[in-house]
Amino acid sequence: MLEVKDLVCGYDSKFILSQINFRIKRGGFWGIIGPNGSGKTTLLKAMTKILKLRKGKVLFEGKDILRFGFREFAKKVAFVSQSSEMGYNMTIKEFVLLGRIPYRRQFQFLESKHDEEIAERAMILTDTIRFKNRLIGELSGGERQLAVVARALAQEPRLLLLDEPTAHLDITHQIRILDLIRRLNRQKGLTVIVVLHDLNLASEYCDRLILLNNGLIHKVGAPQEVLTYQIIEDVYNTTVVVEKNPISSKPYILVVSEEEKANV
Amino acid sequence: MKNLKLLLCCFIAILMFSYISSAIQAESNLPQRIISLKPALTRELYLLGVEDRLVANTIYCSQPPEAQKKEKVATVTKVNLEKVMILRPDLVLASSLTNSEQVEKLKNLGIRVTTFSTARSFSQICDQFLELGRIVGKEKEAERILSQSRKKMNSITGRGKNLPKPKVFVQVGAKPLFAVTNDSFVNDFIKFAGGINIASGAKTGLYSREKVLEQNPDVIIIVTMGIVGEEEKEIWRKYKTLNAAKNNRIYIVDSYKVCSPTPVSFVEVLEEIVGLIHVKDE
Amino acid sequence: MNRKLISWLGWIFLLSGVLSVVGAFSLSVGSAGIPFKKIIPLILGGRGTTEYSILFDIRLPRIILGLAVGSALSIAGVILQGMFRNPLVEPYTLGISGGAALGVCLNIVLRLNRIGGILSIPASGFLGAVVVILAVYSLSARKGILKIQGLLLTGVMISFISSSLIMLIMAISRAEDLHGIIFWIMGSLEEPNLALIKVVVLISILGLFISYLFATELNALALGEEEALHLGINTEKTKRLLFILASLLTGCAVSVAGVIGFVGLVVPHFMRMFVGGDHRILLITSALSGGAFLILCDTLARTIIAPLELPVGVITGIIGGAIFVYFLSKKQVVLGSKQ
Repeated sequence: MLEVKDLVCGYDSKFILSQINFRIKRGGFWGIIGPNGSGKTTLLKAMTKILKLRKGKVLFEGKDILRFGFREFAKKVAFVSQSSEMGYNMTIKEFVLLGRIPYRRQFQFLESKHDEEIAERAMILTDTIRFKNRLIGELSGGERQLAVVARALAQEPRLLLLDEPTAHLDITHQIRILDLIRRLNRQKGLTVIVVLHDLNLASEYCDRLILLNNGLIHKVGAPQEVLTYQIIEDVYNTTVVVEKNPISSKPYILVVSEEEKANV
Repeated sequence: MKNLKLLLCCFIAILMFSYISSAIQAESNLPQRIISLKPALTRELYLLGVEDRLVANTIYCSQPPEAQKKEKVATVTKVNLEKVMILRPDLVLASSLTNSEQVEKLKNLGIRVTTFSTARSFSQICDQFLELGRIVGKEKEAERILSQSRKKMNSITGRGKNLPKPKVFVQVGAKPLFAVTNDSFVNDFIKFAGGINIASGAKTGLYSREKVLEQNPDVIIIVTMGIVGEEEKEIWRKYKTLNAAKNNRIYIVDSYKVCSPTPVSFVEVLEEIVGLIHVKDE
Repeated sequence: MNRKLISWLGWIFLLSGVLSVVGAFSLSVGSAGIPFKKIIPLILGGRGTTEYSILFDIRLPRIILGLAVGSALSIAGVILQGMFRNPLVEPYTLGISGGAALGVCLNIVLRLNRIGGILSIPASGFLGAVVVILAVYSLSARKGILKIQGLLLTGVMISFISSSLIMLIMAISRAEDLHGIIFWIMGSLEEPNLALIKVVVLISILGLFISYLFATELNALALGEEEALHLGINTEKTKRLLFILASLLTGCAVSVAGVIGFVGLVVPHFMRMFVGGDHRILLITSALSGGAFLILCDTLARTIIAPLELPVGVITGIIGGAIFVYFLSKKQVVLGSKQ
């Protein structure tokens, strides 16, 4: 569904990303991981119409994304940012309805019944329907993030991109959001690419991972292939122990503190 | 013969009748409700004796004192259109300072407006006075007053003819320093009083103190309102090399007197200036 | 949804009513001293009398121009505050009023109105405004991208430069010109040319309609430029068009009425406190209340110290500021808060 070819991103003499090549099939659940500054967010944004690429192409369903109109693209690809501005003081319902903008007709000023239904469905899926009439400023960080996901879902996208959706969230909300996204991926066939900093969450939820280091792809593959203690030491410069998660059999990274290292 | 005489009498009667009726008509065509938007014009209307036809003027029309009592409808620049309209004037006298858009508006509303631009010389003051006289039907009176003023002026200029011509600097503004060039009627004061205006040839009135010191006038006349005049006088006095300062010949003249000139007031002020710039030899 | 639409229509109805009342009040009040009882009989049957002329040739054009200028400035204010996501932005922040004032200044000093007639002053004002608009735009657009921060800074700089140049010109000009310049700058709704008033009305109405084509875009922009892009808004095209629209509305208003500040800043804020930040309702309500506000201020300006007239900008500043501060202390104003 999505193909990235020879992508190079950067400005002036600085290269943020280079030699990026990969292909994502429809229905995939991919994660982008890597140390700080490795270019994760840039890579994610490069797959939207926001970033101007220095070199290379991004093809969505075979077509260069630059050839898509803005509206057209927004109906297919939705983006959930890390921290979203709240805009003016609107209700959650109005906030989610903004996701219907790509479907607005030329002189249509008010949302149609259909728009409202889609928004309702999105709120139900994200369990934000109970906040329907509350103001966006009244919600907690986690609840707001769910509302942002609802807005993205209102766009009825085929591909959902999320930039560290779990940052600043407590564990309850982290799991809620990732469970929700996985459910959408499994049940509705929504293709997902998510940038995560937490390797264990990435391991648990993603089918395939792209590990970035200094703007280059270090490894692509299933979590078992990517999250080995050797690779992690190479990329993150830190010693860890990689175990198997007793419940899901996925790789589980154990942190080894300085103290413990001394004891060994 | 008798018939011819009768015919002649009739003819003369008809002529006289038509003359009188046209005179009456002309009289009733003369403006009866006048609004003056320029203090100088207000003064001139009083001079011509038509002040009872003046229905309103500006808040700055304070000369003569009776003019203060008239209805006020404007400042020197801005007019209250509603008040003007409700007074139903048949003539509005404007100055070149009056807001041109408002003049336009008054004309659009069907009111007759005549603009008198700022006089730049004594002869222009006289011409405008005559024009005003013509408009209000007092041409003869205007001519009479003019010839009186001219006579008086000639005697004054005659007095100063054989006296040495002192160098004079006339200051009309401070911050920035503004001098009188030959573009202003104030220059005529100096000319007729028998002095030399050091700034008369300048392109613009903006002057520098340094230039004044360089030209070293014998007399400095400050025409300005209020404390500013005193301040400027003090500043000039400090320049020890300045002739005017050395001989203590720095004078302040009230701008109210100078700035809204009529032919009569011009001559009055001229007399005063002659007294200032020519010193009686000991 | 129905509830929202009803509440919106209610506001529009209410503000139209307020506008009508203010207009009627302004028509009945003035320094000519026409008693209130006489107003209605005058309107119905007074054609040809002086009083009728005062109402319809002097007061009514001012009311109409006040409505047009007030709404134009308010719409421009809404657009710019939405675009910049900055509550301190108003139509004059971009330097447009400075350019217009400079144009008029030069016209007066160079005596160009002898050539152009009575239309040359607004024309030179508009020309000055256009020059500034082009300058600000070209200085802030790099490689086809319009940087919002750049626009703001460039606009403020040009404002300063224009003011300095104007002060320079004032320092070396004659007394007559000086008066003309100062009074033009202070702003006035007295305009003799009815055709010009019609032009401003037309542009205001057009401006309102065109702004509605961007109401959704403005709502999306409130979330930030990146978010708006993700929602399918072509932000570059939108920013460009909105900038041109706001500039034209402002340039037109300034070149005819002079510099009347505060309206474009305060009215959008004020309306936001009552109707919220959704631009679909904010635009029309700001236009209506901006017009009413300016008419009211102008009425006060020409009656408070009659026969003298205060510059309308003085009244808009004092009253606008006072009302705004009062309501600000009562209610919370939320505009584009970042997490």
